[in-house]
Amino acid sequence: MNFKKQLKEGLLTNNPVLSQLLGMCSTMAITTTLFNGLGMGLSVTIILICSNVVISALRRLIPDKIRIAAYIVVIAGFVTMVDLLLKAYVPTLSDSLGVFIPLIVVNCIILGRAEAFASKNGVLASAVDGLTQGVGYTAALVVMCIIREFLGSGTFGKGVLGADGVRILPEQFPALLVILPVGGFLTLGCLIALTQWVNRRLAEKEREKEAVK
Amino acid sequence: MKDYKYILRLTLTLLLITAVVAGLLGLVNYLTEDRIDALTREKTEKAMQEVLPAARYEQLETDKDGVTAAYRADDKGYVVLVNVNGFGGAIDMAVGVGADGRVCGVSIISHAETASLGANCVREDFRAQYIGADGALAVRKDGGTIDALTGATVTSRAVTRGVNLALEFVKEVGG
Repeated sequence: MNFKKQLKEGLLTNNPVLSQLLGMCSTMAITTTLFNGLGMGLSVTIILICSNVVISALRRLIPDKIRIAAYIVVIAGFVTMVDLLLKAYVPTLSDSLGVFIPLIVVNCIILGRAEAFASKNGVLASAVDGLTQGVGYTAALVVMCIIREFLGSGTFGKGVLGADGVRILPEQFPALLVILPVGGFLTLGCLIALTQWVNRRLAEKEREKEAVK
Repeated sequence: MKDYKYILRLTLTLLLITAVVAGLLGLVNYLTEDRIDALTREKTEKAMQEVLPAARYEQLETDKDGVTAAYRADDKGYVVLVNVNGFGGAIDMAVGVGADGRVCGVSIISHAETASLGANCVREDFRAQYIGADGALAVRKDGGTIDALTGATVTSRAVTRGVNLALEFVKEVGG
């Protein structure tokens, strides 16, 4: 089992947001408070695990020609279920994420993993892939949320630690720009640069290790 | 002959998958439907009690664009539920209009406005501006009296339009 390798891929070298650049729409739109980021990350992770497992289990039954249609049906089914369940049991989260939950259907991460991984690997490996990629997505969202919430609203943990979170910067200080889409792009750009730098360092170290051998 | 079989297999596989997913969705929908309905009703009732408390709400007929429902609140006035387009989608709100034809409360039931900007429309100090108004309202940028939430005023204009709709409706029913 390559759990450690898959986790490293999900978090860094093949992070769905920061390396594959998938799921950008939701990343830009909802990363304004920690509550949104965690909620969205968790929802996507659950859907990703479920759809990966089902698609991996059905991979020999689904003819190649209709695979995309079949994947989308499975994914849309899970997304709608999660949407209904959130509406019924976690209404505050479904209120604040709004249309972005149903939009997970067209989130490229889910279809991307179905096509790139689940359709070629076993059920267990696909479940692990769903989990690690989901964790990678959640981690990227949470980091973006923390940065944007801190610079844009001056708080930490809005919705998680009380309705207004913990105020760190005085009210007149935060730059609204960071909450707007502009800020999303700027934050994401910096994070991608950082990830690329870390990935390069990791690759270099690996090469040095090989050379020593 | 082979082609025919292959196409049949494609169709049946997709049909089977779709049928199973549809069945499961039906089940989840059946399990959550009542709860979602109850939550929505509870939220609406809370908003109605907030804008114009009354023991009984008598539903009125409405075919006005943007007005989703209207109620006569005892003999104290009307509660009008309106739906207007904001920046991020529809804004559902309840507007209370007293027997004197003046706004006595505004409550936002649901919205999808930008966090920290338009989403501030739920704040008490913004909503309080509408209380007491009886004529056509406008944001300050349009020559009115309402202080907008942001420079772009999309959300503020939407809420103002909603309040105006409610006032017009009450005038039409002769309140």
